[in-house]
Amino acid sequence: MEPDVSIETSSVIRIAVLPIGTVPPGLLREYQMMLLRQQTIPQSAISSFYTEHQKSPFAHQPWDTGSLRFKFILGGAPPSPWEDFQSNRKILAVIGICHCPSSPDLDSVIDQFNSACKSYASALVHRCFAFCPGDSQLEDGSKKGGNLKLFPPADTQTQEMHLQTMMQDIAASLLMEFEKWVLKAESAGTILKTPLDSQASLNSEEVLKAKKRRLARSQKTIGDYCLLAGSPVDASAHYSTSQELARLTGDYFWYAGALEGGVCALLLDRMGQKDPAMEEEVRYRYNSVIVHYRKSFIQDNAQRVSPLSFELEATLKLARFLCRRELAKEVVELLTSAADGAKSLIDASDRLILFVEIARLYGTIGYQRKAAFFSRQIAQLYLQQENRLAAISAMQVLAMTTKAYRVQSRTSTSEHSLPNKQIGSSHVDGGKMHHHSVVSLFESQWSTLQMVVLREILLSAVRAGDPLAAWSAAARLLRSYYPLITPAGQNGLASALSNSADRLPSGTRCADPALPFIRLYSFPLHPSQMDIVKRNPEREDWWAGSAPSGPFIYTPFSKGESNDSSKQDLIWVVGEPIQVLVELANPCGFDLRVDSIYLSVHSGNFDAFPVSVNLPTNSSKVITLSGIPTSVGPVTIPGCMVHCFGVVTEHLFKDVDNLLLGATQGLVLSDPFRCCGSAKLRNVSFPNISVVPPLPLLVPHVGGGDGAIILYEGEIRGLWINLANAGTVPVEQVHISLSGKNQDCVISVAYETLKAALPLKPGSEVKIPVTLKAWQLGLLDPDPAAGKSAFGSMMRHFKDGSSPTVVIHYAGSLSSSGDPSTVGSSVPPGRRLVVPLQICVLQGLSFVKARLLSMEIPAHVGENLPKPVHVDSQSTERTIGSESKLDRLVKIDPFRGSWGLRFLELELSNPTDVVFDISVSVQLENPSNADNDSADQDAVEYGYPKTRIDRDCSARVLIPLEHFKLPILDGSFFMKDIQADGPTGSRNSSFSEKNAKAELNASIKNLISRIKVRWQSGRNSSGELNIKDAIQAALQASVMDVLLPDPLTFGFRLVRNGLEPAKLESPNELNSSVQSSASKGPVLAHDMTPMEVLVRNNTKDLIKMSLSITCRDVAGENCVEGAKATVLWAGILSGITIEIPPLQEIKHSFSLYFLVPGEYTLVAAALIDDANDILRARARTHSPDEPIFCCGPPYNVRVIGTA
Amino acid sequence: MATTACFIIVSRNDIPIYEAEVGSAAKREDAAQLHQFILHAALDIVQDIAWTTSAMFLKAIDRFNDLVVSVYVTAVFCRYISYNLIFSLTTSLHTRLMLLHDSRNDDGIKSFFQEVHELYIKVLLNPLYLPGSRIASSHFDTKVRALARKYL
Repeated sequence: MEPDVSIETSSVIRIAVLPIGTVPPGLLREYQMMLLRQQTIPQSAISSFYTEHQKSPFAHQPWDTGSLRFKFILGGAPPSPWEDFQSNRKILAVIGICHCPSSPDLDSVIDQFNSACKSYASALVHRCFAFCPGDSQLEDGSKKGGNLKLFPPADTQTQEMHLQTMMQDIAASLLMEFEKWVLKAESAGTILKTPLDSQASLNSEEVLKAKKRRLARSQKTIGDYCLLAGSPVDASAHYSTSQELARLTGDYFWYAGALEGGVCALLLDRMGQKDPAMEEEVRYRYNSVIVHYRKSFIQDNAQRVSPLSFELEATLKLARFLCRRELAKEVVELLTSAADGAKSLIDASDRLILFVEIARLYGTIGYQRKAAFFSRQIAQLYLQQENRLAAISAMQVLAMTTKAYRVQSRTSTSEHSLPNKQIGSSHVDGGKMHHHSVVSLFESQWSTLQMVVLREILLSAVRAGDPLAAWSAAARLLRSYYPLITPAGQNGLASALSNSADRLPSGTRCADPALPFIRLYSFPLHPSQMDIVKRNPEREDWWAGSAPSGPFIYTPFSKGESNDSSKQDLIWVVGEPIQVLVELANPCGFDLRVDSIYLSVHSGNFDAFPVSVNLPTNSSKVITLSGIPTSVGPVTIPGCMVHCFGVVTEHLFKDVDNLLLGATQGLVLSDPFRCCGSAKLRNVSFPNISVVPPLPLLVPHVGGGDGAIILYEGEIRGLWINLANAGTVPVEQVHISLSGKNQDCVISVAYETLKAALPLKPGSEVKIPVTLKAWQLGLLDPDPAAGKSAFGSMMRHFKDGSSPTVVIHYAGSLSSSGDPSTVGSSVPPGRRLVVPLQICVLQGLSFVKARLLSMEIPAHVGENLPKPVHVDSQSTERTIGSESKLDRLVKIDPFRGSWGLRFLELELSNPTDVVFDISVSVQLENPSNADNDSADQDAVEYGYPKTRIDRDCSARVLIPLEHFKLPILDGSFFMKDIQADGPTGSRNSSFSEKNAKAELNASIKNLISRIKVRWQSGRNSSGELNIKDAIQAALQASVMDVLLPDPLTFGFRLVRNGLEPAKLESPNELNSSVQSSASKGPVLAHDMTPMEVLVRNNTKDLIKMSLSITCRDVAGENCVEGAKATVLWAGILSGITIEIPPLQEIKHSFSLYFLVPGEYTLVAAALIDDANDILRARARTHSPDEPIFCCGPPYNVRVIGTA
Repeated sequence: MATTACFIIVSRNDIPIYEAEVGSAAKREDAAQLHQFILHAALDIVQDIAWTTSAMFLKAIDRFNDLVVSVYVTAVFCRYISYNLIFSLTTSLHTRLMLLHDSRNDDGIKSFFQEVHELYIKVLLNPLYLPGSRIASSHFDTKVRALARKYL
């Protein structure tokens, strides 16, 4: 059988084209292409070369319309045994092609050509075309003449003209040869035999029969030559004669041949006009051709030779003739019957040709699947021949079937895969895919067939030695059908992949990805330290509105906007590395080593960094791929480049997305990620990524370590934040703000330092001091373990996010840095740096309670008066000034006593495991700035020695509140009462009430704020206890007593023998006099003791009162009056009416005579007459008529017996 | 019972949604593959023939060697039930039950197709079955094999 047969084949002259000498393959192809353009030579063109030597047998030669047709067979072909039966099978001419520069010796060329021609006995014309001869060869060759034709170097057009002329010459020569042959055949008659004829010696009857047949056969052959000579009318005539004769002799085979020739003559005669009637005629005649070929089947030599191939050829010729879409059914029937014949074909190559033809014809009528089926049959036949060339053919044929089986390599689909891509991407965008279109994505998933085809491609490619094709097939097989392949098979494919890769040069690329499966996991947003914010150049606070404000992560108001722009925008900065997370899956039963994987970016403005990954059997892994944008512009990341199994492939995210989509619909075999145990992932949408020019980049470093800052409650500590510009652009604008919880714990941030450092050049850094004060741990988070396990609580606090953050907005220069591409766009964006102050507050000293204690120690009656409290202040200053520790102790003057001295007792406990030192200090307002030696300070501190509280202990700290007494009982405190009683009425009362209360509160606050409880622990942590509220609560009830002096102050002293009393005004002397009075010894019994009582008016008004003095013994009995009086007196002791001018004091002298030694107590009391409102308020009287009774502190007198 | 019989249901998207070797011959992998190849190739012919006839049962429409392909083309109402009206009218292809066989027992094959068709409709009526996806029901498989034993 022959390939590519059609009805017209019978009229085509075969010419062998042989390369003579060495012809470079490229040039040979070029020369052959030139020849192919001369396939049809019109008869009108050859008339000039044609000379009629004798009367032409082709009487009806159509010189105007007819033509001679050639078929060039490159490399020639062996002679067919059926040459006699079909003359068109003969090689009727030989053309040698010689490339002169590579074969300089023309003589040897001629010799070679002649010897080559010898094997073509049937050839009637021989020509050798020598291209590109040199000058000497031209000279030489022109002498040689003969069959050597030289083609001088010229442009293509000229050469083609030359060649055309040569071909016309050949055509004319052939025509003349045909005439000769026909004339000879007509006259002499030749013996025409086919392999079908019996080879055995013929008996006489058969010889006779053969003689009869000879005429029919020669007529048929003449008809063939007529057809070849382009004269269908003559051919027709000869064929009909032959048919008649053959039918008579029962030579069905030749009869069928003549019939076939007749049809060809008919077609050739009616060239170009195809009417249904003629089509019907051809169909009818060819059916009879087929029938007669079948009839000619002879059983006895069926093993050796069979006319079946002619029957099949005829079938194929008819099918090709009818091959149109409308007649598909008929063609299918013909082809099906032809395919049935394949079994009976003896020669394997015949079967191959048959299948090739069937596949082609099916392809022509658009039955791609049928064509693919037969192509696969062809490939199997090729694979049965165990050689490399057959394997290459098999591979190529199988490659053609991949489209029908939908297992195409991506190289072949890349040109027309665009619509597919669009479908995929639009669906992914839509989020919700229409079921129908999903199905269409996975159309024709005949997995069994696909696997078989891919396996055969792999097999053939391995055999053909095409490692890339083998790799590609194995990759497709493994990637698409791993669930259907046993682990052993998967391992086999993996080794096939590596074996193929071994034969490939390193860095080979393949369009078909193998493993692993890669999907996009997420695009991590910028870390908070590199956040990019849009800059609004028109506003002072240019960062405003760019970041989500408010405490809510989700705000219902912003929902509408985000819906439109579901694709978020991502901004990358030139020169700053970015990261993308992808998930890899290896669902196969072998360990997969990905030599390198990196992001594939086609926009060319991105440098990706490769990483290598090991994926164990059935595993998935999320990895980070990073890269650096190199120039401004949009970036798209369609997938990853993967270097795995020795070949570089591109894995597109979209493919895997489609695959996963199909898996959810049950259309694809398996979800590779799920079978690796990876969780289901939502669709990650691709953000629009744009790259902006370089921005400054501040890198923070919080001084005191990057870890947490551990503080005890109330601790104050200074920190610094070191900001370094790691970018390539200077920082020109900066703004610091605080956010988060507990913002007020940041006492100060040195914003000015940062401002002063602007512009911050790249590489430079600035240190900003920050002062922190640890907040109080809320009552709501009682953490018993806080003190014990600092770490645990630290973690908890991080989670709570209770630490404040310092937010720094900064930006580079407002005008873009001369980059032309950004001029059109807006100003470069700024950045936001969030520096979380990781403060961990540990529970420190805890305050248990505060209470006010009063201490009442009666004073001794001495020679001096006890000094009034307020006078004391100056001496106190001195003692502070002396810095002597002892001096700081609260000294209780025994002659003064401490009547009315109050202490604030703070009970503190230390639950921590460190030791705290508590120091209490009281700030005093300086009563007189003028005569103070530390006049420059407004307030002085009154300190007390430290109290140490060990861990897990509690302690009480006493704070004396003696220094707060006001010198004068002023009306201002009791404004309320005055106003209320006054005639102004109650209209203003509510206002003034508030006013007064506010004032009172203010003074209390003032009082409290002057008490500071500081603590220190270890070397460097110190702070202040925040116990103002507690103190206030403790003081609230008795604040008046603490603050206000009594209206009258009473004092007693001894008067010795009319000695001058010590000057009150001189504090130095006072001290000494106290000592002297003490040294003078006690009061003696049975002795008249002169005494004085001093009464001081502390108010600004004149006070009239009646003073009385009592003396009590230790039992508290009044020992001045009554029957058992043990004390005698001189002077007046009761009912002494005195008037004391404002802020003055008076003395009243009297004498006592103690009868019994012992302890006595002297108490002065006064009943104030006509008390004003202030006094009433102070005494807290309820009715204005109530007498106001003022009682002084008790004074002790020790009386010693005389004996 | 036929020695070779390969039964496949092809959805309207040309995807095989059910495949079964129901012949009595010893199972050979390459033979089973060839059967599928033949049936796949026959789709081209079914596609054309289905529109030229009103019959549902298309007897011996294709053959390769001595294997014959018979097809039962389901009517549009299958999808009318299973899918919505619009799609059933706009999609132009039918679901095809294809049988590759070497016996000439046409009546048996026809009965087999009719009964399997009924089974297939029952599958379609399952609200959890997504039309066009694989039929994974083991019940369906058992029934089909039983029918094959009965009729082929």
